[in-house]
Amino acid sequence: MQRVSLSSSPSPRSSLRRLVSAGRALIGIALFAAVLCVSAADAQPEAPPSSAGGARTLEEYRHFRIAAIDLLGRMPTRQEVAAFERPDFDWDEWVDRALGEPAYADRMTRIYMDLLRLEPNLNFASAPSDLLRHEVVGPDGKPVWVYYRENQRRMRPETDGEFCLDPDETGMGVRPRQQDVQSETRKPKPISQKLLDAYTVLVKPWWLYRDYLGANPQARFGSSGWGDPDPGYKPVESLLADDGKPVLAVRVCREEASSLAMGHVFARRMTRVRTKAAAPPGDNRDEPAGGRIRPLPVDKPYATKHQGDEVSCATKMALEYAPDCGCGPGLERCLPGDANNGGSAFTFPNHSLLGEGVSLDEAKQSQQRWFPYWWSREAVHFLEDLFAGDRDFREVLTGKQTFVNGPLAQFYGTIQRSNCCGPEVTFGMLEESEPLFEPSRVPQDLAPQDVSTWKSVGDRGPHAAGLLTMPIFLEKYASARARGAALYNDFLCKSFAPGAQPLAPSTEPNLMIRPGCRACHAELEPMAAYFARVEAASFVFLPSAQFPVRSTACKLDANGRLNGACNALYDAAFADSHSATLRSAYGSPEHADATPAGAAHDLVATPEFAQCAVQRVVASFLGRPTTPDDDPLLASLTQRFVRSGYRMKALVRALLQSDAYARTNDERAP
Amino acid sequence: MRATWLLAFGPMAAACASPPPARVPAQASPPLVAESEALADTAPKHDLRLVPPEVYLRTYLALFGGLAPLDVQAKARGADRAQIFDAWDDYVSALGLPDYRFDIPRQTRTQALMIATFERLGVALCDRAVEHDLEADAFGTPTPANERLIFAFDLPKEGELDAAGFAARFDVLHRTFLGYPSALAPPDRVRRFYRLYQEIVLNHAKADPRSRFSPPHAGWAAVCYGLVRHPEFHLY
Repeated sequence: MQRVSLSSSPSPRSSLRRLVSAGRALIGIALFAAVLCVSAADAQPEAPPSSAGGARTLEEYRHFRIAAIDLLGRMPTRQEVAAFERPDFDWDEWVDRALGEPAYADRMTRIYMDLLRLEPNLNFASAPSDLLRHEVVGPDGKPVWVYYRENQRRMRPETDGEFCLDPDETGMGVRPRQQDVQSETRKPKPISQKLLDAYTVLVKPWWLYRDYLGANPQARFGSSGWGDPDPGYKPVESLLADDGKPVLAVRVCREEASSLAMGHVFARRMTRVRTKAAAPPGDNRDEPAGGRIRPLPVDKPYATKHQGDEVSCATKMALEYAPDCGCGPGLERCLPGDANNGGSAFTFPNHSLLGEGVSLDEAKQSQQRWFPYWWSREAVHFLEDLFAGDRDFREVLTGKQTFVNGPLAQFYGTIQRSNCCGPEVTFGMLEESEPLFEPSRVPQDLAPQDVSTWKSVGDRGPHAAGLLTMPIFLEKYASARARGAALYNDFLCKSFAPGAQPLAPSTEPNLMIRPGCRACHAELEPMAAYFARVEAASFVFLPSAQFPVRSTACKLDANGRLNGACNALYDAAFADSHSATLRSAYGSPEHADATPAGAAHDLVATPEFAQCAVQRVVASFLGRPTTPDDDPLLASLTQRFVRSGYRMKALVRALLQSDAYARTNDERAP
Repeated sequence: MRATWLLAFGPMAAACASPPPARVPAQASPPLVAESEALADTAPKHDLRLVPPEVYLRTYLALFGGLAPLDVQAKARGADRAQIFDAWDDYVSALGLPDYRFDIPRQTRTQALMIATFERLGVALCDRAVEHDLEADAFGTPTPANERLIFAFDLPKEGELDAAGFAARFDVLHRTFLGYPSALAPPDRVRRFYRLYQEIVLNHAKADPRSRFSPPHAGWAAVCYGLVRHPEFHLY
């Protein structure tokens, strides 16, 4: 049988047509053979006629199988093989249909997920949003769970910055001292109902009630009031039941239960309080009341200066400064955990290898993994939309759009605000003023429990830049250099190769000129500078108005150091007695001001961007790294890719028609 | 005597006179001199590649009738206590899937553990398929032909399957797993699988204690094992 390539010129379709003509001559024989075929063929109507194989060569079957695996993400079924054998099979039509299948988008997404590895092995720990749970002994001697926040400011000195019931009231603190446990001087004791009512309150929280924002929530998870909850929304059993009975409301410290939007800066006007441990033996004058172990929180300069000023309760600052701020209505600004530290919150897969809803496992997960899991899914949805919709591939870096579900709406609308601000307060940024994802752009009709409902967001805000400004990218690649290197490697297909220069000892802080370092860092530092305005290991954006690249508000002291907030955000190695440079910005102040959006704009304009994208896709479809011998193919595909407006489907279609792809796997006899 | 003194204290004196340098300065090594030149073969090497594990899993799920993975897990484990299938989580890394969380890359080459995993999953698939497709239910009703997932054919009476009958049925399985008619396979493939089938049927009839599969069912299960473990199934 003559070997006929599906990709021979002018098109695979014409090749197939020739085959079809030849095949028609064989139809009579095939029909005869089919009649003779065993009774099995009659018994299973969906099975293909077994003798029709005469119309196709082995190479064609293999090519079909390869294309199905590459485009549909699975081997062809018997029915699909049968359709392939039919005389009216149209290759181009089949390819076009396959390019419209979700499996194609999944296949393409896999290329970039393999490169960027955007699945989290990280936790999002934010003290203002982490709601912990502590067990006390109730008035009847039975355990009572009380939810609280670490470091919550409270008016009572006994509990300020601590759990809302002091160790003298509960018998034992949240973090009992080892000597107290060993000596059994302190033991948990029943707390009176009066104290419990004074310092805690019952709340119907968002994770239990669909209508948690209502005056009297009734639609409880697992009850008839909340019929048909999202199948992917699975709070852990310990949040749903207590001693086998369904939890109808949770007990929360009174401050945390506050639903105020704005609170007020509080200062105790005490600079330092001695603890018993710090005091000389027998001197109990300054021992705080209530048996607390940690000293009272010390007033920060801002608090003493701005006492009574309003502060947004959604911010990180609120936890530190405002005792009248809590977790908001239905505790929606907080995420529950079932323990004092690292508690579980929800059941979800460790990773979703085959996509959402096709999980291979389910596990009880820590509360701090909830949002990182959805960050990862956001990146996957973004990529799948890019490929399924055949959007301009440059949007992978420049796109302002994204997709959010309920948890992400809760995160971008509320929780992310609690990630700021600490040292930034000194520079006048009390809450994030130019977030990468503006909370006002979040769809309003998503509840935190809507985990399977994804909605498109057309524009996240002026600083949005494709994957580059998504939390999963910024947390996975935590430093500016790591972010710059990821861009350089994954989207320009370049790698850093140190030269043969000896690594001489040097104190030169500028790595772009330090011998032995400059070979790589001359390229890396300017790339890293694009990310200077996004804090390391975070996604807080530092606007140029408050954080100029060169700030005169920060300068070296007499000891050659930057102090306090300046040291957190500015680089002492690039400072003098008059000013300091923003961290990671020294490689290129222009790039720092261009922000990640500028990086995206600059990168996609380089010829390497398109070449690299083509190289990635070709290598993936050919199943091997490209070599210099592939250069003509890559050049022609790149030209086609750019001419099509950076559309991946045009590239894949052209690749599937190429001789190189047809030749890929037919070198071995079966 | 003087010589002895010199021998004893000479090195010490010399050491005091010239202390070793605190830091050994880096020295650039001389460039390597080319001794000969050879042509580098940069031509792409065509070879079969491993079916991506996601593809393998999707195919596996499709063969089980398009069930959700956790349902397949429950089904594949069966109720026979043979424990031929554990949990997907036990297999994902062995199948070569990457773990982005820990930056573990995708495997592109097979290794012994992967082969063993393919085998284990294949055996689970085939055994369950025999139960579903070929065995009658508790009421003695066989699965209708159009609901059979893998063994989409009828079996003749025990002992009546000849070479031609086997070949026709084998072709259905060959298309299912390898994607092309068995007529295009190497000429002795059908014959070898038929021999395998016959040997299994023969030996199974003699087996003591008896397996829960009848000899023909065990024979078809073995054919299925052979195909689901075939290199052509795992490579493309």
